[in-house]
Amino acid sequence: MQETSPIEQDAAAAAPGSRPTTLTERFKSLRVPVALLQVGGLVAAIGILMGYFQYKNQFFFTSTNILELVRSMSTLAILALGETLVIIAAEIDLSVGAMYGFSAMAFGLVWMHGISFYLAFPLGLLFGVGLGFVNAFFTAIVRIPSFIATLGMYSLAQGLTYLISGSLSINPAYANPPVNSGELTVFQNLTHGNLPFNTPFQIVWLIGVGIVIWLLLHRSLFGFRLTAIGGSHEAARLAGLPVARYIFFVFMISGLLAALAGILDFSFIGAMQPNSGISLTFPVFAAVIIGGASLSGGRGTVLGTLLGTLLLAVLADGLSLLAVDPFVQLIFVGSVTIIAVALDRWANLLRASTGA
Amino acid sequence: MLLEVRALTKRFGQTVALDDMDLTARSGEILGIVGPNGAGKSTLIRILAGEAIADSGQIFIDGQVWSRRERRHDIAVVHQEPELFPSVTVAQNLLVGREGRQVLWPKAGVQEQKILSDLHIAPYADRPLHSCSLVVRQLTEIARALVHDARVVLFDEPNSALTEDESTRLFRYMHALKKAGHIVLFVSHRISEIVEQADRVAVIRAGKCAAILERDDLTEEAVAQQLVVGERERRGESPTRGTGSEAGRALLRVEAWNHPRGAFQEADLQLDAGEILALIGVEGSGARELLRSIAGLERSHGTIRVAGLSGRAASRALVTYIAADRKLSLFSNLSVGENLVSRLGKPEIAGPWGNLRKRKLSRLARELVDKFRIRARSVAQPVRTLSGGNQQKVALAAAVAKRPRVLALEEPTRGVDIGTKAEIYHLLRGFVNDGGGVIAFCNEAPEVFELADRAVVVSRGRLSTPLNVRSYDHMETLATDITRLEGNSPAPVPAGAQEHGGGAGPEPDRC
Repeated sequence: MQETSPIEQDAAAAAPGSRPTTLTERFKSLRVPVALLQVGGLVAAIGILMGYFQYKNQFFFTSTNILELVRSMSTLAILALGETLVIIAAEIDLSVGAMYGFSAMAFGLVWMHGISFYLAFPLGLLFGVGLGFVNAFFTAIVRIPSFIATLGMYSLAQGLTYLISGSLSINPAYANPPVNSGELTVFQNLTHGNLPFNTPFQIVWLIGVGIVIWLLLHRSLFGFRLTAIGGSHEAARLAGLPVARYIFFVFMISGLLAALAGILDFSFIGAMQPNSGISLTFPVFAAVIIGGASLSGGRGTVLGTLLGTLLLAVLADGLSLLAVDPFVQLIFVGSVTIIAVALDRWANLLRASTGA
Repeated sequence: MLLEVRALTKRFGQTVALDDMDLTARSGEILGIVGPNGAGKSTLIRILAGEAIADSGQIFIDGQVWSRRERRHDIAVVHQEPELFPSVTVAQNLLVGREGRQVLWPKAGVQEQKILSDLHIAPYADRPLHSCSLVVRQLTEIARALVHDARVVLFDEPNSALTEDESTRLFRYMHALKKAGHIVLFVSHRISEIVEQADRVAVIRAGKCAAILERDDLTEEAVAQQLVVGERERRGESPTRGTGSEAGRALLRVEAWNHPRGAFQEADLQLDAGEILALIGVEGSGARELLRSIAGLERSHGTIRVAGLSGRAASRALVTYIAADRKLSLFSNLSVGENLVSRLGKPEIAGPWGNLRKRKLSRLARELVDKFRIRARSVAQPVRTLSGGNQQKVALAAAVAKRPRVLALEEPTRGVDIGTKAEIYHLLRGFVNDGGGVIAFCNEAPEVFELADRAVVVSRGRLSTPLNVRSYDHMETLATDITRLEGNSPAPVPAGAQEHGGGAGPEPDRC
């Protein structure tokens, strides 16, 4: 059965004999490759926004602001890169915000209860991997739609975070008994190291993770197979690809990166609250979709996700410079995401109609 | 009452599915519709059912233009797998869409009751549809057609999953509809049934109505011949019918092979190296399921041995399967080159660290494009922009790239144009000449004639004695023999065939 939108149905309303001249048909005749349009559109949108904010507030294009902008986007970017892999696999991870919070909180508590930092840090990352494993188990083995499984995990992990922290915030600098001061310095240096031109250190993490994920996705057999699997799980299975294994991989990587982002933010801010990360859930998803990854899977790039994250960061930074109320940001992020998904659906239509 | 199809045309990209088709059907007669796959039959049905829109041409009912938007219910379709509402009762199914101004759950009225009892499904009126048998569901579809005052009722291969008795019952209602003045269209692959039930038969070929057979002209042989007319030109210059080279050592063997849900029973088959074996049977015969089980996709009971190893693991490892539906054999989001290497890994396209060797990948892809003569502008082209025939070549090439012992193909040239068909047969012949084996599910006699060395006809789950295809000089004879075996008519060893050793099957018919 074909799924036709009202636009197409109305255009073809007359009895067999009329040729539909929908918007899609007219666009196809322009023969512009869809991918180019997506990246180009994104860059243009970012450019326009930057121009607008600079016009409204001269402070925008200063090195201080731009550096802070890039720093602030590093958390979101790390999360979004993990989410990109999941979305390419034609799944979705709605629990990243909660995994971020739980892993960081668990790391902090473990450390503050006497375990060495050098053990607690990998343990924190492992917590993230573990939660990702659970997500993958329910998606690939029990066969619950990943939307539901990760939504459940979102709630579960958030609850656990409150449970283990006793609903309190933690701050290792004021721990009692105090943590090893050498370890504390190392922890703080994770994000407070010194770089020339006052560049925030978190950018190093952003670049590092970006390179690793780029290699994984665009230069390795894993990424190639992941893209195929995301295109069609069934075709991949018939071709002998290990679909379930790859689902485990992507969810565990997503968990790992969520944990990393959580611990890094913890290092930067110095303290961790039980509800940290919850507000990140939607922007992560938005960044990936705005960046051009397709919800139906099999399509997505590191560059696209980074641009999507940049767009959201420019939006957030610019709006705060204009001193608008914080909820205005919410309105923007929501609208931009809906538009991005609608454009993604249209792009799919274009791609499908050029096929046999 | 008259149904007229005039100058109906429908294109999908470069393929012309319906080419200026004209067709007429009258009330008080059953019009049978037959045609090979890819001839446009299914497209015609979809347009009549309102699921697709023609590019040009018109449909008239009693002189009035029919448009699916306004008069959707004039043409009703009874499907092989009824598409109704499984979650409500039989009676409620008749009411969906006709609730009028009722605010509460609607109740069946006098009209609905009468139709239900006419079709003898009144006892099921209050049972949820999903719990009813297939035949009751189909009768419900008919009932719905009647309740909507459909003037045309189209039966689309309705009885492939029904038993003899259920089929007879269905045909009785078909005739009743005809007598009541409806226009009845009956689409089927089963030539014997079509000849028995229909008053006139239209043969659809290459998007047109190629012939109408009626009265004395309407015989099984005549229909079978009409279906393969035009394919005659290919015969003669077929390079595919070379001599099988490799010594015929057994590559694959199944014995006492039974399908868990009964699609086929006691199958016994052998495939030798260097040979192409065709499984042919209509929808529901079990041929498709047999092929899939050999590829390891359906758990079956019995013995299977592939190149010395046995069990399902052997099939999964050594038999490469290509599905009929290209959505399952290709990755539409990837390019031609990426699809070609999609089954490969280390060390063919990746290094020891898992790093993708892009240059090697491109080189391999280009080699495959040359070897399989795939017509594409570049290997970076998205695979969905290729024509159906070239897409099928990509699927084949991708499978062969992994050097399997056995290829299990489901409809190897579905949706492929004639020229590319010949190329694909040639490529498959090349594959078996190198020592592999091919077992293919085909549903058309000309393909069996061109491609296969031997053929086994599957009918209602039972396998026929293998036919030695190469001993047939004329395609028509083979087509007729296949039709007879498919229709289960009591036939002795078919004319023109010689038995090939190995894989003696049980009797082809059971009455």
